Amino acid sequence: MSAAPGAQEPPALERTIIITGGAQRFAVPDCVPRSADQASVEACRTITRVLRDDLAFERLFPFVEDRLLSALPAFNPDAVKFDDWKGIGANVLAVTRAGVGRPKEGGEAELTVEVRVHNVDSGQTLLSRRYSGRADNPRVFAHQASDDILSMAQYRGVARTRIAFSSDRDSGQTKGVKELYIVDYDGYNPRRVTVNGSLNVLPAWSPDGRSIAYVSWRQGRTPLVFLASIFEGKSTPNLTGERGGSQAFAPAFSPDGKKIAFASTRSGNMDVWVADADGGGARRLTSHPASDTAPCWSPTGQQIAFTSDRRGTPQIWTMGAEGLNQEPLTRVGNYNDGAAWNPSKQFSEIAYTSRLEGGGFDIAVLDYATGQVRQITQGRGSCEYPSWAPNGRHLVFSCQRGGTWQLAVADREGRDFRALATGPGNNVYPDWGP
Amino acid sequence: MNRRRSFIALLTFGLVLTVAACGGKKRPPALTTAGGEGTSGRRSAPPPPVEEGPDLRPVEGESTFGEDFPPSDPSGEGGPLADIHFEFDQAGLTNQARATLEKHALWLQNHREARVTVEGHCDERGTVDYNLALGDKRAQAARDYLVSLGVAPERLRTVSYGKERPLDSSGNEQAWTKNRRAHFAVSR
Repeated sequence: MSAAPGAQEPPALERTIIITGGAQRFAVPDCVPRSADQASVEACRTITRVLRDDLAFERLFPFVEDRLLSALPAFNPDAVKFDDWKGIGANVLAVTRAGVGRPKEGGEAELTVEVRVHNVDSGQTLLSRRYSGRADNPRVFAHQASDDILSMAQYRGVARTRIAFSSDRDSGQTKGVKELYIVDYDGYNPRRVTVNGSLNVLPAWSPDGRSIAYVSWRQGRTPLVFLASIFEGKSTPNLTGERGGSQAFAPAFSPDGKKIAFASTRSGNMDVWVADADGGGARRLTSHPASDTAPCWSPTGQQIAFTSDRRGTPQIWTMGAEGLNQEPLTRVGNYNDGAAWNPSKQFSEIAYTSRLEGGGFDIAVLDYATGQVRQITQGRGSCEYPSWAPNGRHLVFSCQRGGTWQLAVADREGRDFRALATGPGNNVYPDWGP
Repeated sequence: MNRRRSFIALLTFGLVLTVAACGGKKRPPALTTAGGEGTSGRRSAPPPPVEEGPDLRPVEGESTFGEDFPPSDPSGEGGPLADIHFEFDQAGLTNQARATLEKHALWLQNHREARVTVEGHCDERGTVDYNLALGDKRAQAARDYLVSLGVAPERLRTVSYGKERPLDSSGNEQAWTKNRRAHFAVSR
């Protein structure tokens, strides 16, 4: 898949000051090309734009406005005049430099990017990194740099993460065909995962980011869980070992990656089951004659939230990971489904899809400690199927507007709603991976 | 050929009359003797029950034992067995659905070699996970009723498609009604 640039040993990294979010104002001036060749200039342009977007995405700190940046004279990255930057209100300066190396005989062009982060007030260098790798996707370099800068601020960035989803974009005239795709977290760089001309939905990443479990009707037109090992190009059919016509849905890996929860009809109706990650040792967790489905794990792996209509309407329930203490969680609204537990232990909350009085659906988040519910989407058409970013600070979901379904992202308070331009067709059922 | 058809129609009609006469809501033992009737048309098990006196008519057309029947497209339209429809957000069978299933049971008794995948479908207004559960319940409800009417369970398979394969994507009440269905994909 995407070749992450090989991160090299950081030269002379001084890491004495931790940037704390909030008051620190960032300046991200234009990337400086190593040479005037077109490849380097274009790579630099991309890196500037993407790095700014990546750093701004988490809304952790303010930025020096572009007009102030452009007011400064051209600068030499090797001899930064800190007073200039102080003058425009910057506290932290992130300088980038990039150059595309000429391909050797038969070799691929190589891009080298250097990133330096300075404390403007003290003049100290907080971070100095150099990345090199294939030149065909400069965005990856900016993503890597952004995540490294954020990790310096003790945040886990998500710029290198990817989102899996289901789309009918390649179905042509055939109705009811969906394949799986992956995009970068910002909607760029779509790649196709399945090519079977059937219906493939509900992708679920393994925590190591190496495989995706999903539901496909491609074997005997029965919905079964498949596992795609995306780097090996390998596919494991019927992972949960359904037999005698039973169906499996809604796979979800435990946070440690050792188990997989799913819904199966093997008992005669739909129940939540759990198995080892390889599908062995399946155990039934729910046994109510109602439908139980859509399991998701708490960040500790000790609890599972799921959807059950045992009290007449679909609601989110919780239980211990062994099926004990089954309790209703949602009490507001007559239709709640698709729970997603915030993976960050910092936020104890569960996102889900909730039907409103008007008939459409919106994304809601329930604070697990207080029971309070906040609405994430409103007036965005019908939205469903939330999935958390690995750091728990954003949600991705799909919304129907103007007749088509598209992926959209909002932060955990519902601010900063943005549609992801992932490509044509209906794009649904996103799962935000590592 | 014509005579044979009349015979079958007569036989089917007679069967319906017997069924109607039985009335009641009791479930008879399932007809599991596959092949027991063969081409002779002799019945070897009790007739299926009828509830609330639905409008039962002999299956029209060429319901001849052992004769070819057109296979139906998975999740499409057409085929020998008509779709049944459901109320919004419900998996219970309407009287109309029961009446249709009773015709299907007769057809299946006349076509012993036919196997059916009962597909449960939903309209597009629900959420994906719950619609898959609802589609499963719809398929199960249709299957269970067919079994109660004497169709051998091993001839029936259920599959849920949730909201993934609507027949009509126009997004209005009429389309949604059409999409909330159990479809019967017939194969040999």
